[in-house]
Amino acid sequence: MKIVMIRFVKRLIAGLIMILVVASFTFLLVRLMPGDPVQAKYDQLLLNGLTPIQAMDEVRVMYGFIPHQPLWIQYVHYLSQILHLNLGQSISYEGTPVMRIILGAAPWTIILVLTGTIASFIVGVLAGVIAAIKRNSLAGSAITISGSVLHGIPLFVMALFLAYVLTTIYAILPFGAPYNAALTPGFNGPFLSSLARHALLPVFTYALSSYGGWLLTMKSSVISVLGDDFILASEVRGLKTSTRIGYIAHNAILPLFTILALSIGFMFGGSLFIEDIFDYPGLGNLLVNAINSRDYPLMSGAFLLITVAVIASNIITDFLYSVVDPRIRR
Amino acid sequence: MSAELKHKQATAPAVQVRGLNVVYATNQGDLPAVRQVDLDIEARKITGIIGESGSGKSTLVMAMMNAVGKPGQIVSGSVEVLGVGDMLSIDRERQRKARGKELGLVFQAAQNSLNPLRRIGHQVLDLGRSHDVKDLRDLLRKAKDLLTRLGMDADRVLASYQHELSGGMRQRVGIMFALILDAKIVILDEATTALDMLSQASVLEIVRELHKERGLTTILVTHDMGVVADMADRVVVMYGGEIVEEGPSEFVLSHPAHPYTQGLVRAIPRISGDIDRAVPLQGAPADLKTYLEPGCPFYQRCPVAMPKCQESRPTSLAVSQDRKVACFKVTDHD
Repeated sequence: MKIVMIRFVKRLIAGLIMILVVASFTFLLVRLMPGDPVQAKYDQLLLNGLTPIQAMDEVRVMYGFIPHQPLWIQYVHYLSQILHLNLGQSISYEGTPVMRIILGAAPWTIILVLTGTIASFIVGVLAGVIAAIKRNSLAGSAITISGSVLHGIPLFVMALFLAYVLTTIYAILPFGAPYNAALTPGFNGPFLSSLARHALLPVFTYALSSYGGWLLTMKSSVISVLGDDFILASEVRGLKTSTRIGYIAHNAILPLFTILALSIGFMFGGSLFIEDIFDYPGLGNLLVNAINSRDYPLMSGAFLLITVAVIASNIITDFLYSVVDPRIRR
Repeated sequence: MSAELKHKQATAPAVQVRGLNVVYATNQGDLPAVRQVDLDIEARKITGIIGESGSGKSTLVMAMMNAVGKPGQIVSGSVEVLGVGDMLSIDRERQRKARGKELGLVFQAAQNSLNPLRRIGHQVLDLGRSHDVKDLRDLLRKAKDLLTRLGMDADRVLASYQHELSGGMRQRVGIMFALILDAKIVILDEATTALDMLSQASVLEIVRELHKERGLTTILVTHDMGVVADMADRVVVMYGGEIVEEGPSEFVLSHPAHPYTQGLVRAIPRISGDIDRAVPLQGAPADLKTYLEPGCPFYQRCPVAMPKCQESRPTSLAVSQDRKVACFKVTDHD
């Protein structure tokens, strides 16, 4: 237990250092961008007739930076703001703290990407096992081909195609907007069912496009496990087929586990195409808008969030891994 | 009457292989790994199967369990196992039940024969459940007894994962798995090859004890002549997928009849004396081309080959009461 704690603390420190590096990098990136957005805003405010002091205050509030100060003071200031969970204020949504915007967008992405990822993971892994075990049969090949094809279709093409079929030709599902705007948001039946109906298509699209990747990875992993000696040994010892499939699946799923955890970390980057096409107000949409409107505080805030999420999921994976794989435990 | 029946059962072979053919699909065509093998494994005896790498020993024993892995395929033949039936034709569920319960195999890579993600004890329970063992607690007790017999700390081993055990310990665990369901026929396929000399000796000693104690029928696949000489009652010599000679081990090893067996015996290095007294066999082991020839598979390397050997294949004939040789030089005396 003590060793586990030491390991955890070590990982945590390493993670914090990584976050610090990325935060510094984001800081420098914004500073080094051609045209210096901070300076530009400051100059613009001066032109608008503000006094230098007013302009500086305005810029400080907006970016969390103080122009005219040496870089390192700005840097220290920026880091201390981050420690206070203050990511500055957005430019495009004037006056709103970046933190609040991000927290508002996150649930939409989590609903969309998390459900999609988990659904595609479960279906893809099961299909991958079947595809591997029955790889010499017609059904096995059909499953593999379905995976390759779906994996190969670009996400936005699939999204547009499904939207065209399911909302235009057969008008089964609603299109655009995360819920019916006529309903009052809250914990009530009509709103929740509207929410679910609107989420169905984007989630389905997302799941369908990532299903192939899970399937193909699981298939190759299962095939390599099938060649392992202990699988032959379990056959020679007369273990039941169900027990043997359990052995195979448990051993084969380990590499996918890492990928799953990482992709949940990357989830906070949102899914640009899907959120854009289905008009979902998630993090992906937010990031695109921030880039389009040169909203630097929002951009660096979003990047920082992705970084923290990926690093955190990495650390969590490390620990869950030692639960599922006894060889990692010490 | 019952005495007669008893006698009959005692002498009936534990495994009766007839006309067995196994091929491996390769890029150059089908490679026959086991060719037209007829073999009786005597009950309650230790039978050694010996031959070079690639001579078909392992394939033969895997075929006895009908567990030849792809790209191998059993083409024809029968494997009659005492009390089970023909392993090659009974239904799959009965085959599965026979594996482990009637036929225990410690196989070549027994060091990796365990699921790396499950504790040994859990794997014992998995085995018990697969074979409908009613009293799982009793099964664990048996596992403990066997592991203790094999010289290990049973509780620790059952609570361990594979990676927490040394190679020799894993090998012993493999032997425990082959014996725990009271299989009467135990096959050790190069089971001690990966072990150092001392571990090998102690494992073989335990095998010999258990063999006697439980009245097992033991099949020992090896390329180590010393192990055969030390352990086996009977020896079966394989070359190029065929049985070239079989008989009581002391006679076969002291007076080998087939030129291949003679070569094998000559090739054993002695502890004392000049290393040059060990004469290696000339030439290369049988390959696909050899199999396509109509003659004796050993013809190319045989020091006493005759013209006839190139044209037709010698069949295995009895030269004395319990000894068979497949060589014209030996069988053509009269």
